[in-house]
Amino acid sequence: MDYDEAQGYVVLSTLCMPLLAALIILFIPGSKKMAIRYVSLIAATAMLGLSIYIFTAYQVAGAGIQMELQWPWVENVGFLGEDGITLHLGVDGISALLVLLNGIVSFAATIVSWKIDFRPKDFFILFWVLVGGVYGTFFSFDLFFWFFFYELAVVPLYLLIGVWGSTRKEYGAMKLTLMLVGGSVLIWIGIFAVFHEANIGTFSLPALYEAAENGAFSTNFQRTFFPFFVVGCGVLAALWPFHTWSPDGHMSAPTAVSMVHAGVLMKLGAFGIIRLGIQLLPEGAAFWMPGLMVLGVIGAVYGATAALTQRDFKLISGYSSVSHMGYVIMGLATMNDVGVTGAVLQMFSHGVMTALVFLLIGALYDQAHTRDLKDYGGIAKIMPAWVVFYTVAGLANVGLPGLSGFTAEFHIFVGTFHSYPLFGGLAIFAAALAAGYMLRMFSIVFFGPTNPRWADLKDLRPLEAMGAVTLLAAIVLMGVWWAPFTDRVAATVTHLPGVIGIA
Amino acid sequence: MTITEHAYLLAAIPAGMFLLLALLGRYLPRGGDYLGVLATGTSFGLMIAVVANYVQNRGGLGGAFQHGLEAQEFPAWTNSIEWSTVGDFVLRMGIYVDPITVLMLGVITTVALMVNIFSIGYMKGEPRYYWFFAVLQLFVASMLMLVLADNLLLLLISWELVGVCSFLLIGFYWEKRSATEAAKKAFITTRVGDVGLFIGVVLLGKAAGTFNIQDVIHAAQEGHIGSTYLFVSMMFLFLGAMGKSAQVPFHVWLPDAMEGPTPVSALIHAATMVVAGVYLTARMLPAFEVAGDMMLIITLVGLVTALLTGFIALAQTDIKKVLAYSTVGQLGFMFVALGSGAPEAAMFHLMTHAFFKALLFLGSGSVIHATHHHQEMDELGGLWKKMPITATTFLIGSLALAGVFPLAGFWSKDEILHSTLDWGGGWAFILLAFAAVLTAFYTTRLFVRTFLGKPKDQHIYEHTHESSFVMTGPLLFLCLLAIVSGFVVFQDVGKAIGFPGGITEFIFVEHPHVFHIDWALAGTSIAIGVIGIFSAGWMYWGGSTVRSTKLAEWQPGLYDMITNKFYFDEMYQYGIDRGLLGFSFIVSWFDRYVVNDTGVDGSAQITKYSGSVLKYAQTGKVPNYAMGVAIGVITLAVVGLAVRG
Amino acid sequence: MVPLENYLVLSAILFSLGVYGVLARRNAVLVLMSVELMLNAVSMNFIAFSAYLDPSRITGVIFAVFIITVAAAEVGLALAIVIRLFRNRATVNVDEAAILKW
Repeated sequence: MDYDEAQGYVVLSTLCMPLLAALIILFIPGSKKMAIRYVSLIAATAMLGLSIYIFTAYQVAGAGIQMELQWPWVENVGFLGEDGITLHLGVDGISALLVLLNGIVSFAATIVSWKIDFRPKDFFILFWVLVGGVYGTFFSFDLFFWFFFYELAVVPLYLLIGVWGSTRKEYGAMKLTLMLVGGSVLIWIGIFAVFHEANIGTFSLPALYEAAENGAFSTNFQRTFFPFFVVGCGVLAALWPFHTWSPDGHMSAPTAVSMVHAGVLMKLGAFGIIRLGIQLLPEGAAFWMPGLMVLGVIGAVYGATAALTQRDFKLISGYSSVSHMGYVIMGLATMNDVGVTGAVLQMFSHGVMTALVFLLIGALYDQAHTRDLKDYGGIAKIMPAWVVFYTVAGLANVGLPGLSGFTAEFHIFVGTFHSYPLFGGLAIFAAALAAGYMLRMFSIVFFGPTNPRWADLKDLRPLEAMGAVTLLAAIVLMGVWWAPFTDRVAATVTHLPGVIGIA
Repeated sequence: MTITEHAYLLAAIPAGMFLLLALLGRYLPRGGDYLGVLATGTSFGLMIAVVANYVQNRGGLGGAFQHGLEAQEFPAWTNSIEWSTVGDFVLRMGIYVDPITVLMLGVITTVALMVNIFSIGYMKGEPRYYWFFAVLQLFVASMLMLVLADNLLLLLISWELVGVCSFLLIGFYWEKRSATEAAKKAFITTRVGDVGLFIGVVLLGKAAGTFNIQDVIHAAQEGHIGSTYLFVSMMFLFLGAMGKSAQVPFHVWLPDAMEGPTPVSALIHAATMVVAGVYLTARMLPAFEVAGDMMLIITLVGLVTALLTGFIALAQTDIKKVLAYSTVGQLGFMFVALGSGAPEAAMFHLMTHAFFKALLFLGSGSVIHATHHHQEMDELGGLWKKMPITATTFLIGSLALAGVFPLAGFWSKDEILHSTLDWGGGWAFILLAFAAVLTAFYTTRLFVRTFLGKPKDQHIYEHTHESSFVMTGPLLFLCLLAIVSGFVVFQDVGKAIGFPGGITEFIFVEHPHVFHIDWALAGTSIAIGVIGIFSAGWMYWGGSTVRSTKLAEWQPGLYDMITNKFYFDEMYQYGIDRGLLGFSFIVSWFDRYVVNDTGVDGSAQITKYSGSVLKYAQTGKVPNYAMGVAIGVITLAVVGLAVRG
Repeated sequence: MVPLENYLVLSAILFSLGVYGVLARRNAVLVLMSVELMLNAVSMNFIAFSAYLDPSRITGVIFAVFIITVAAAEVGLALAIVIRLFRNRATVNVDEAAILKW
């Protein structure tokens, strides 16, 4: 077995790890809660290690797809030709970064789920299926399996929110699932249209990319079907105006699910826009990108504005997610290498900082049982470590240099100003507004006289602190020394069809 | 290899100390305050080495010192590494040391060291003592990085970092609601300017193809950037400078920032961070000069600020607020000098102002500490007897600020007034001279009402005592600088201390501007100081407010405007409440009721409604279903036959 | 040999009887029997077509066997339901077993 093949098995075992964990937990009696937790923790740690390995082992010089593994599934049957449907795994620079994100966030989410006492068995089974689906989507280079894993990631959300959530959880869960599934239908239509139009009898993405390069998709076809992918995936990426599941969904979801959902799942949508939209239908992308830019700018400003007057922690984070995903959409819409790289960096950055924010909100809510800002005050006196973490996460949100948000936003705005200076100028006010809503929350909740009602709140527990430190390390690393991140992402982004370089 | 190439160490040492103190400070004895002093002290020592090295390697005028490097007239050291690459978009990070940098390094490290020492006494017994010193180190590191940066990106990064340090330190007493609000206001106000800076940096980087400051300037001078484009981007850049340097209309945050501990006000809000805008403008001045009417805009902004804040300071009763408005005003002076094309005057004033204003702030800190946090002039008075050292140094600082011969402020203010005349703006000269009279007036008022006359509150007075040496020591040192730093402009003095040709020439060799005294101007300048001082002395001598009350009653409208700070805060508050927050409410409402309840839930409602209507088709009776099946089959059969036809 | 048409007519009559029974009868057992009539009619069609159009192969016959098997299973299941219905409601009138509506 040579080196590349061995790498392929690393990817495969990363994909199987969460599913295996789900399977093992399935056979542990529900009453043995500690055993379930330890299995989850071991699996999460292993996944974190494997993700870091995959990220570091990705060869910048090699670009393209690495660590490939290909097992045929169905071929030469009916309309399927050679390599009809294959389990084709691998990573490119974009997915390498997002795999790392998934490893980090799911690790932290596992740790904070330690205290879940209501049916932990079912919770962790669903949770690991979700995580496995996310890994699968990032790894898959076959349209069929891409979509399979995509759905696998979306569906457990319904139960996770509906059963373990809070605050109008049935409503939030139902709305989220219906909107996401509605998006999936569009993607599914797009996938079949592409499959049929290419007419090479395979779902293999590299083969379809090659076909696309050779002009298999006419301009009209691309312009017609690009919106299917963008809107379909955009729903998950909180593309304005399909974002309303985000505030409600986040408000209802339990901590760990909020973390994975805002941290990783929303990125699946943006990732899909790259994988399916830009890579398969570059001409369609070129045609629709100005429109997408408008939606991105609206989302960025709209989310930040709406966050200004919210009174619920999670609603602030929900709307700020809309705003930040607006940046991601803007970055993608620039169609130049710096902007798209920035968009991918923003996916990572937003992932870790939102996960950290939800972790902290969860730690507070579990004790205080209210998320109304006005109920708090002077928390810094009672929970100093909590406040420090929240401040850093919040400042990363604002785009403070030295933290990940700045790195990402800087690249996005350089890209945007290069292609659409006017939109860049409009959207950047969201950055000023971000300072407004963040500091408003800081000053209401953290500072000022301490409300005696909260005198007996506990600061972060060691496990929570461990999760928070993991996320914080990622935020600071990317903010200070971003070359390892940009190198990997740029290696792939610069080769995307239709993406131009800026000098 | 020279120390100058490694000047980044100046910033690296406090940065490392920040990490150490932030993580471990609480476990160290005395919160590790000595480590803070050690870090800034090391930076101070390195600064001296850098200055010495720089002067040595500077050929031409200072021939006696040259050896080693080949004599260059105006050497500038650069040292940079590649930071990241995306396609052809390469970012480099590095340092650039030229005379402006050297001057800034001197100012920052000196004041930082003094403030660190002073804080040991001032902050004694405060909660989160270690945290104060930790953030102070982070601030010093970021500020040094800001002036060392060779590219706009690194400058932007440190620019925002100093803003955050300022936020953290203003809000140091976060139990007080007012401190929190002030910190928030400072951060958001400067953030608005920062967004401008960000846009400016990105635009310039796009046009010049690099973020390197010298290359950008070069591109602008060579005309590689379109004139409108250059004007717009420099305007955005200047917005950042205005925000940081609290120029009208961004000046509102600085007086509120006085909620922070007084040493912080001295370091950040008088001597270093607020002059970052001046530094940036001076640094980019060659580009500003070719950018349309930017120079005129800079002058006007500075002038308006100097006058407006001069008036406001007249009626403030809080010691620190008077000083804060005075700082804003003096920054306005510097911008006028920059706009008049005299960066050497601006940088000179920046230096002398840093010393005497830090002295005044630390002096007021000494008073506040001694009186247990009383800083209203109406409660103080007669402190001269109780605190002789503080009072004497404060007096010298005040006279320097008022521009009295031969203290530091006199020379630099004179230089600025001179530059306006050179530039040809007689009106600017007159207005600025008037602002200088106001400066002398409110400074004298401040001193007289605080230190002279009879104590207004006997209780406070009795508990007052002179501060310990750890606090008066820095006062004395800064006092010395406030006296002598004015002389460094002279050729002979400059030569003696290693700046051949005097410091202004040293700073801006590209604009050879040997300092000379124009006695007519100097006379005017002295007269300005005298008028201001004596009118204020006449009005407030002995702590009486009879005359000043009369003055206020004589022009009630104007007095009202001044005491309410020309209603800037009210206007902003109105704009935010009615404009921004109103807009936010509308957006939230739109999101909830239009997008969500109508768009999303609406489609759900339609589905539900159609279900509620169509459900009656579900009778539950088998024959009905069977009938349906039969009709369906027959229909299909008929249609099928008809189609096949 | 009897012509194919005769089989088809017979099958059609049987089928129509079955349809009438399903639609008109209220007794569940009778409805079931009517369904059987329809299935038999279909089987008859299959066999007749098989024998007349393609005698060499027995596709139609196999279908008929399938139908008989399915019908047997279906009747077994359906009668079980009818018995449960009778136990619970003391009636086998399909109109009264209408709780599964809106």
